[in-house]
Amino acid sequence: CLLVKTSKYNALNFLPMNLFEQFQRLANAYFLFLLFLQLIPQISSLAWYTTVIPLMVVLSITAVKDAIDDVKRHQNDNQVNNRSVLVIVTEKWMNVQVGDIIKLENNQIVTADILLLSSSEPYSLAYIETAELDGWLSQIKITELGLLFLFFFSGEVRCESPNNKLDRFTGILMYKGKNYILNHDRLILRGCVIRNTDWCYGLVIFTGPDTKVMQNSGKSTFKRTHIDHLMNVLVLWIFLFLGCMCFLLAVGHYIWENNKGYYFQDYLPWEDYVSSSVFSATLMFWSYFIILNTMVPISLYVSVEIIRLGNSFYINWDRKMFYEPKNTPAQARTTTLNEELGQVKYVFSDKTGTLTQNIMIFNKCSINGTLYGMHDDRIRRNKEKVDFSYNKLADPKFSFYDKTLVEAVKRGDRWVHLFFLSLSLCHTVISEEKVEGELVYQAQSPDEGALVTAARNFGFVFRSRTSETIMVVEMGKARIYQLLAILDFSNVRKRMSVIVRTPENRILLFCKGADTIICELLHPSCRSLKDITMDHLDDFASDGLRTLMVAYRELDSAFFQDWSKKHSEACLSLEDRENKISIVYEEIERDLMLLGATAIEDKLQDGVPETILTLNKAKIKIWVLTGDKQETAVNIAYACNIFEDEMDEIFIVEGNNDETVGGELRYEGRTATMKPDSLLESDPVNSYLTTKPQPPFKIPEEVPNGSYGLIINGYSLAHALEGNLELELVRTACMCKGVICCRMTPLQKAQVVELVKKYKKAVTLAIGDGANDVSMIKAAHIGVGISGQEGMQAMLSSDYAFSQFRYLQRLLLVHGRWSYNRMCKFLSYFFYKNFSFTLVHVWYAFYSGFSAQTVYDTWFITFYNLVYTSLPVLGLSLFDQDVNETWSLRFPELYEPGQHNLYFNKKEFVKCLLHGIYSSFVLFFIPMGTVYNSVRKDGKEISDYQSFSLIVQTSLLCVVTMQITLETTYWTMISHVFTWGSLGFYFCVLFFLYSDGLCLLFPDIFQFLGVARNTLNLPQMWLSVILSIILCMLPVIGYQFLKPLFWPVSVDQVSATGIYPNRIHDPLTSRRSAYAFSHKQGFGALITSGKTVKAKLPKRNSFHYKK
Amino acid sequence: MSEKYMWVTCRTRMKRKCQNYESRLPDNTAVKQQQLPAFRLQLTASEILSGFFAIGLFCLGMGIILLLSAKSIKEVEINYTEKCATCAKLREEATNFDKECNCSISFYLPQKMEGNVYLYYKLYGFYQNLYRYILSRSNIQLVGADVKDVRNCAPFRTSDNGLPIAPCGAIANSMFNDTIVLWYNFNSSTHIRVPMVRTETAWWTDKYVKFQNPAFQNLSSAFAGTAKPPNWPKPVYELDENDPGNNGFINDDFIVWMRTAAFPNFKKLYRRLHRIGNFTEGLPAGSYSFIINYNFPVSRFQGQKAVVLSTLTWSGGSSLFLALTYVEP
Repeated sequence: CLLVKTSKYNALNFLPMNLFEQFQRLANAYFLFLLFLQLIPQISSLAWYTTVIPLMVVLSITAVKDAIDDVKRHQNDNQVNNRSVLVIVTEKWMNVQVGDIIKLENNQIVTADILLLSSSEPYSLAYIETAELDGWLSQIKITELGLLFLFFFSGEVRCESPNNKLDRFTGILMYKGKNYILNHDRLILRGCVIRNTDWCYGLVIFTGPDTKVMQNSGKSTFKRTHIDHLMNVLVLWIFLFLGCMCFLLAVGHYIWENNKGYYFQDYLPWEDYVSSSVFSATLMFWSYFIILNTMVPISLYVSVEIIRLGNSFYINWDRKMFYEPKNTPAQARTTTLNEELGQVKYVFSDKTGTLTQNIMIFNKCSINGTLYGMHDDRIRRNKEKVDFSYNKLADPKFSFYDKTLVEAVKRGDRWVHLFFLSLSLCHTVISEEKVEGELVYQAQSPDEGALVTAARNFGFVFRSRTSETIMVVEMGKARIYQLLAILDFSNVRKRMSVIVRTPENRILLFCKGADTIICELLHPSCRSLKDITMDHLDDFASDGLRTLMVAYRELDSAFFQDWSKKHSEACLSLEDRENKISIVYEEIERDLMLLGATAIEDKLQDGVPETILTLNKAKIKIWVLTGDKQETAVNIAYACNIFEDEMDEIFIVEGNNDETVGGELRYEGRTATMKPDSLLESDPVNSYLTTKPQPPFKIPEEVPNGSYGLIINGYSLAHALEGNLELELVRTACMCKGVICCRMTPLQKAQVVELVKKYKKAVTLAIGDGANDVSMIKAAHIGVGISGQEGMQAMLSSDYAFSQFRYLQRLLLVHGRWSYNRMCKFLSYFFYKNFSFTLVHVWYAFYSGFSAQTVYDTWFITFYNLVYTSLPVLGLSLFDQDVNETWSLRFPELYEPGQHNLYFNKKEFVKCLLHGIYSSFVLFFIPMGTVYNSVRKDGKEISDYQSFSLIVQTSLLCVVTMQITLETTYWTMISHVFTWGSLGFYFCVLFFLYSDGLCLLFPDIFQFLGVARNTLNLPQMWLSVILSIILCMLPVIGYQFLKPLFWPVSVDQVSATGIYPNRIHDPLTSRRSAYAFSHKQGFGALITSGKTVKAKLPKRNSFHYKK
Repeated sequence: MSEKYMWVTCRTRMKRKCQNYESRLPDNTAVKQQQLPAFRLQLTASEILSGFFAIGLFCLGMGIILLLSAKSIKEVEINYTEKCATCAKLREEATNFDKECNCSISFYLPQKMEGNVYLYYKLYGFYQNLYRYILSRSNIQLVGADVKDVRNCAPFRTSDNGLPIAPCGAIANSMFNDTIVLWYNFNSSTHIRVPMVRTETAWWTDKYVKFQNPAFQNLSSAFAGTAKPPNWPKPVYELDENDPGNNGFINDDFIVWMRTAAFPNFKKLYRRLHRIGNFTEGLPAGSYSFIINYNFPVSRFQGQKAVVLSTLTWSGGSSLFLALTYVEP
């Protein structure tokens, strides 16, 4: 059934299911346990409602949140389910079932994985937009099975079981004894939109949760922040502390009962069930456990969630992270990681599409030994663009600055023509011409698009293609080439070729590919040309351009026929097909004649170098992990400031076995230069490592004697990631200022991230845009997806998403820093206020016979965390800004305390604890001193329990409010309202709870009748409150404001120099850039349709359909 | 699981907006952009130090004022635990409950006590703040709503014969029941009983709101069907038979006792000086004696009893504590 159900609850099961889920959380379960304890009359020391009310509020807040989420999901589901679709008879999507044949029309959104059967377009192509899945604007799906299936059905489809691989599908369709192989090209995934296709028919394969997209979305692991872990540890500490406290108090009770209580039985006899003071003390342990439970505040987790949610919204709302051209705001897809953004130490970045725009510009070329294109960027600016007006089909956006090339084209230079012809034929681009003369190319990779567009502008316009022909408008004349074969691109081959039959009946092979590969395939006769071209390639490479070599070969007909036969045999072979095909390809791709080379500029994104410089200043280390070649990666690294020319040395690790890699890492890198004594026993890190710490240990920071860079290759990394070399790698790499890892597989990217996570215990952030970055995005503590050119898959698995790399500095330095500071302030304050609140009971125990008597009114205990103190601290943690955004961007150094987790750690927690103990001490003994032996001015009572408790609770509230005013540095209207409002509200509630009416209505529940009126007008009381405030605040103020004067930390002495040096990049050595084709394999086969073959298929999932 | 659902929601929202070509630029509001106008608290060291200094001065001034006013209070405290040892011994045996025991304590007042003089009894080591003790009362009963409501009064809920106790509970049962009478020894032969007022010793709210007698013509019939607390010599409606406004639950002595003390050592207002005759000005200097009808046993739990005579100032009782702590910083 195709009913899409993403919602969890319905009206009936909401309450039980939601409650069940909530009580699975430890904190809630704990409070439930506490509630049961309170229901035992023998140990109950607090009224049941002190726990029930907060628990109810906490549960209902969470429940409301869940309900809202679920309502949204319901709406969403309904919207999806109610789209109509033609299942021969029109049905709603939710009624569609696996095996149904459905008709999809133009601009319809697909909500199931559908096998295409036929379409309205010629050659059974269907155009779909997969922007939602991977960001590509369009793709073509093939439907060559033909319309005939539609009308007489009795077939069977066997296919793989539902999985999360978006780019893989294997299946087989059995129909009338014939087997048709199905692959992912024939599958339209849920979330795609049908474009430019009037209609198409499809067979529903996967529905609902089985769809690939749904399978993909649930996979990511649940990430938790360091603060989360710390919080859990601290809560455990608190439990231990609580246990100790209760034990001590129970012992105290035992002693008291022996000395006093036993003799006090005239007035208060023991309960019948109490036989001895030991038994009584045992009960008392639990009674105190109930009273002191507020040390583990029930509202902690809820508050933390609210704060994180709020801070996530700020990211979504930030106009400065909104990218106008793409209409995409930043998006916090996870709302639980905010404060960790303020602690990032390592950034792992992808290169293509992340640092670079992934927009390719055809910049230069070398044709038959002649170099075209401007050498210097600075000259280019003044030059005029080349006029392409002779060509009506030219793309107006394309610009080129060297007139000589146009002249050569117009002159009819044979080689230039052949060069552009090859560019216009050898590709897998699809063209679209909605309006006559307005061509739109749909390219698999931007490189290819750039090349074809260049050829188009110079007069070799690729106009349209069918599965067997390519139409090219050559200098205004339309010519049709027969497409005989596409020898597709693959990562191993690093080249692609097409074989065409020209209108003159010549058979030509055009090939383009990486220079190193093509060079070896060239005919010996073009050696001199090769040398010249290689020189040009070196030039291109040193400018950081991506290069491709272009060659051709004329084939004779007989040879081709022969080859063609071998090819189809290879294609039909059942075993080792790919290998056989590539051998066949190699047979024909040789003795090539060199035509020239192209150079494409890979444009950096805006503001990347500045961002990286800023992040470096914030002591964030940036590692580039890329699948690209070393040269390309290094060029980009220089261009965007990861490597600097002033660096002392850049090490390259490219060993091919363990020993060389180890040596390179250990000796050449670290020992020789960076840190000469790092192999000695005396080195602190070595001596630390010799102590054999337990596996989850942390390598301390090491300081090198200069700034270094490290380049490591994927195959060397494979060795470095093994065994004990891991340590060497981490130590060496972490001492370097910049690290480039190139030729990385997606898995290796994740491994590197895991490595740093494991040994450095630092917060890592991975940023990337493509499907190959998904693994590292998931591995890192924080994954950031660039919603950019290459795809949206990275975004789908990311925690934060925005469309420009430069927003990273704002995310980290502004949002991250604020979130972290706010969370730390929140936690410090929250623990403090609960300690001050709770520990007063402990002091009182010494004066109340350890009888588990609380100091406060039960209603105060109920409302303290929930009402009186919740809003101010929420206000603090949602609105506070210790420094404004300009400053935090201008002084990236301010980011450092977060990396070392200075604002909230175990030490800070102990400080909170001590502070809380001190405050509770003051809060108990000042009121005690005040009321002790004291009376009102009319001689009446003041030292009674109720007045005392009122004085203590008022003092407490004033003190914690004053404390929060000290913490608050940024006083907005909301902070004022929250802080003072809460205090005012306390007094209102007080008068209400202690009012005649309420107390007379429920005399047993509200017992404090008239206490507020009788006590709040006493001068002693106010003097006591003021004294408590002064005594509690003075040390804190002294510490807080005088500390920076005597022990300044870096944050307090930020220097006023914030000018970024404007660097002009001047590479010292010439670097070779190379074939870097961001291309997917297998697209060629799509175009040369109708040649599918049988292959062995996994027969796991099958279904039948009949009609 | 929730992750999985979450993105679906996000995606759909995004899609809808895209279709309408609506700009997704976030709103430019102060809250959303975190640009709320705000005041930033920035203090310099000198401001802090001068603040400290000002607070110090304030405390000192306050302290001195409090100290002076506390000094002006005159107070006499006489601990009669030891002085009435024979009575104490007698009371240790519960069987002697019906034997009267009086005890006389003489003292000399060197200076007269001017103005209002208050008579307190003071207990040491009596825990009125134990958890079970504080709970052991019935406010419903005390407010006059239902005399037979004794739910919370354990362990003094019902009498031996099953009748609900009124007033029930440990607090009421343990009510202080010594009677203290102050005699002024004008000369060796003339002893004048110092006139004392026994009302207006409790909070107004307690006396007129929180404690009410059950509505009946006759107080004793209102308490019909209830028993007196076991420790009490007489039922609640005989606490002050002379003054109907001070009898039953609204007896001031009773109310004062029922307002439990926060600490084990406490004093409670017992009588106020009635300023008539010789005592219009207060208590003149001279020789006095307390005649104490000793009923309340304390020696069993090593408690002590004292009687206190005191004058008051604006800040109330004789607490030096606040004064001293204010002077300290």
